[in-house]
Amino acid sequence: MKRLFVIFAALSFLMFLGGCQKAKEQASKEPIKVGVILPLTGKHAKFGEIEKKSFQMAVEEINSGQGVNGRKIQLLIEDTQGKPDVGRSAVEKLITQDKVVMIGGGYSSSVTYAAAGVAINKGFPFLVNTGSADKITEPSSFTPSGQRVDNLKKNLKKEKDKAKIAVLKEEIAALEKKSAEESRKLMDRFSIFRLNPPVSEYASGLEGFLAKVVKPKTAVILNENSLFGTKGAKAFEKSCKKLGIKVLMKESYDAGAVDFKPLLAKVKEANPDVVYMISYLMDASLLMRQSMELKMNPKLFAGAAAGFTLPEFAENAGKASEKVVSATLWHESLSIPGARAYYDKFVKRYNKPTEYHGAEAYSAMYVIADVLKRAKSYKPADIKKALSETDMMTVFGPVKFTSYGKKIHQNKLETYVVQWINGKLKMIWPENLAKDKYVYPVNWIKERQ
Amino acid sequence: MDLFLQTLVSGFLKGGLYALVGIGMTLIMGVMGIINLAHGQLMMVAMYVTFVCFTYLGIDPYVSLLLSMPILFLIGIIVQKYLLNPLLRTETILPENQVLMTVGIGMVLTEVMRFIFTSDYKSVKTSYSNATFFLGNISFSVPLLIDLAFIILLTLGLFWFLNRTDIGRSIRATAQDKEAAILMGVNSEKITYITFGIGAALVAAAGTLLVPVYYLFPDIGGDFTRRAFIICILGGLGSTVGAIFGGITLGLAEAFGATYVAMEFEDIIGLIIFIIVLLFLPGGFKRLIKI
Repeated sequence: MKRLFVIFAALSFLMFLGGCQKAKEQASKEPIKVGVILPLTGKHAKFGEIEKKSFQMAVEEINSGQGVNGRKIQLLIEDTQGKPDVGRSAVEKLITQDKVVMIGGGYSSSVTYAAAGVAINKGFPFLVNTGSADKITEPSSFTPSGQRVDNLKKNLKKEKDKAKIAVLKEEIAALEKKSAEESRKLMDRFSIFRLNPPVSEYASGLEGFLAKVVKPKTAVILNENSLFGTKGAKAFEKSCKKLGIKVLMKESYDAGAVDFKPLLAKVKEANPDVVYMISYLMDASLLMRQSMELKMNPKLFAGAAAGFTLPEFAENAGKASEKVVSATLWHESLSIPGARAYYDKFVKRYNKPTEYHGAEAYSAMYVIADVLKRAKSYKPADIKKALSETDMMTVFGPVKFTSYGKKIHQNKLETYVVQWINGKLKMIWPENLAKDKYVYPVNWIKERQ
Repeated sequence: MDLFLQTLVSGFLKGGLYALVGIGMTLIMGVMGIINLAHGQLMMVAMYVTFVCFTYLGIDPYVSLLLSMPILFLIGIIVQKYLLNPLLRTETILPENQVLMTVGIGMVLTEVMRFIFTSDYKSVKTSYSNATFFLGNISFSVPLLIDLAFIILLTLGLFWFLNRTDIGRSIRATAQDKEAAILMGVNSEKITYITFGIGAALVAAAGTLLVPVYYLFPDIGGDFTRRAFIICILGGLGSTVGAIFGGITLGLAEAFGATYVAMEFEDIIGLIIFIIVLLFLPGGFKRLIKI
């Protein structure tokens, strides 16, 4: 009986060892799971679609090559529906249930900011490639005091009483100190990295175009009352101040309005030189269509990227999209190695053009693969370390995460200007990089007949 | 002055559509005494019918009125006959349960459409979607003007139906006094589901007419249910003429709010008027015009 037990024990020990061996072997062959959050349904579905396609294209290329140190990458794409709450639970699910090693994607500022909160709480690496509100890479905005400082600063602007202003200023200074301390504590958990420039820099390329070519005196800003919209409007207001452009009107609207005509009629009456709009796809199309119905004729219609560069914008707005100018973060004609190749591959495979959102996603995938190659292990801390050491070239431009201002882990890039010319998105600015000549001045009424 | 006139035109044209949305709801409210909180969702279904007709069958949105209205009429009858009326028969259940039922129906409709079409935004682009003509400096949208013509026709048709036909008179009788109508030999159950069918068909027309100038997605219904409800309260519960006034008032209020206050507050302005009417004119416009 005793002997039998010994044999049994020995056998089971051997089996256990064997099992371990097998598990290890499997682990080294099993694909590495990477989570991606994108809006695949809902109002931002078209942005999600172009990014999903680009992510998939990139991951297939990586897997058909060497993969990551011989292992393949498996993408788990979660739908955020364009809603911050769904975005949060998507990140939770990816981290706790699917056990991914890191997270990518992140479309629309509101969703990305909410999702980033979850990732930071867990100290989990999240490479944002589109969500663009400045505060996503500002640790102070994730601390309670930092958020209160923002609120108090708003009050400070409205306050007129001098005594109260002094009190407020004191309070802000104290809170800022506290928030700096809190941010420092947060620092080792702050795991958000961003590939794309923040929204405050979106119009930097457009600024040049306005200053050198259009030379407007007045402008009107229309924006969706979301995080991306309000921050973008504020940033452009600053640009206007810098260029000496008078902002006649700054109006926000609720996404999904049926009728923009009253608003546009008001813009028409204000008669600005430039109409600058920060909108997502459907509102952007409707705004342009209805501006055509009202025969508006400013010097320039300009969009702040997002809804204005997607191929669906031209489809939905039809001839109302013609000659509309937009800020952008990328264009296939840029002399970045691989940019044109990516564009051609995308067109060949999906039979439709791609733009900056796609390039962001495609590059993010390559950055992720590169990070996973260099990481010592797939623990969050090691991946974070590898992310911060990133220094590579992608089709979107060079990627290197730096700190400036309040931001950390932020990639710094140029922005450009594009124009819809004969139904095609052409890059027109900066002049030394652009392959196509801008069309200006534009007679919008004639253009749209 | 141009700005004022342009706002007036936009608001009035939009108000016409709202009126059509409101009439359907107020009709149902008058006869059944319940608020149909699935009203906007029925409209959404009609929009998808139009979308399918246009995209897959190549039927012009205005022609597809001939399809979307009967389909929604049938859906309305089924909803009333098999989902709402059985609740009436159960005595222990409060009448409010019918309202709760409509909320549920609305949710089911939304999710079914999301299941079939996903929540992507779809649009129907016709050659005339953006056609306009100008009177002086004021722009008139051609599709919205055609819509207005349809709305006037449908409303006149409805009045003819309610005043001149047997079923129409029965509907009015049931709305005025249900028990007396039953005593006079009106089949009140049949009247309830015919009324629901007509209400659904009218809001279907509104949905179909809106499609060429707007876009559609499954969650669009809730907004229009809210608007229809506001319109009914503005007009006075159960009054069709009141609903027309209510619709146009809401359209104008939203437009003038967007022009002279802020576009952001468009929805709030509608709700403020709603509260003011509830406070100072609880019976709605019905009380002023006595119809």
